Amino acid sequence: MSDLATQESVEQAPLEGVIKGEVLRMYQEVADHPDKEFHFFHGREAAEMFGYEREWLDRAPAGAVASFAGVGNPHLRSQLQPGETVLDLGSGAGLDSIIAGWQVGPSGHVLGVDLNPHMCAKAEAHAALAGGVMECRSGTMEDIPMPDASVDVVISNGVINLSFRKRRVIGELYRVLKPGGRVSIADIVSAKQLSQSIVNDPKLWAS
Amino acid sequence: MFTLFDHAGFKRVKSAVVPGFRFRKASTQDSAEAYGVKAVMMTAQKP
Repeated sequence: MSDLATQESVEQAPLEGVIKGEVLRMYQEVADHPDKEFHFFHGREAAEMFGYEREWLDRAPAGAVASFAGVGNPHLRSQLQPGETVLDLGSGAGLDSIIAGWQVGPSGHVLGVDLNPHMCAKAEAHAALAGGVMECRSGTMEDIPMPDASVDVVISNGVINLSFRKRRVIGELYRVLKPGGRVSIADIVSAKQLSQSIVNDPKLWAS
Repeated sequence: MFTLFDHAGFKRVKSAVVPGFRFRKASTQDSAEAYGVKAVMMTAQKP
């Protein structure tokens, strides 16, 4: 790492911590109070907007659907096959993990990773209610708590944009995937460089 | 983000805009449009 990069990393560290805290707070709020109105669409309304099949939403536990806070539908292009191992990066309340579990079947595996251990517990409980098994590990997307070359497919929904270190995150996806493994994600991107005042505003990161 | 996938060594990197994505609040949506903020789907494969 260059001196400049080291300096920037040190300068950003406190802000990164504040933003992680705000992101945790926002998604916990969505999970705890899904009936509240946020400035992004969430719950069944959002899932239907992104083309989630109604049969999935009817079949999944209500709590998993109500707390959905994705920005698209990674299942449209994931082409999951029975027996595959899937990593749901930023698994939240578990809706995407549950749907992935139905697609890979009992011979497959669904592993979640979430920054918030309470959300991990909630996702595992929702998966059990849906008749499936999901293992969720609390950890960060910059250091995914999984071995090298251990998953067939990574899905993720509106999560990677929340990282200060996106290059590191993408490198982690590469590391945990088996050769021939696939990524299917939905996320937010910006065509223009955001102003420093926006970058420094934790509430906007959690939007 | 497309470039990050490419540089990481992924192949067959593809992206498409998520149709219909928008923020609930008009003021947030206006700011998002001003900065070209959009939701995308991305797929890629590890060789």
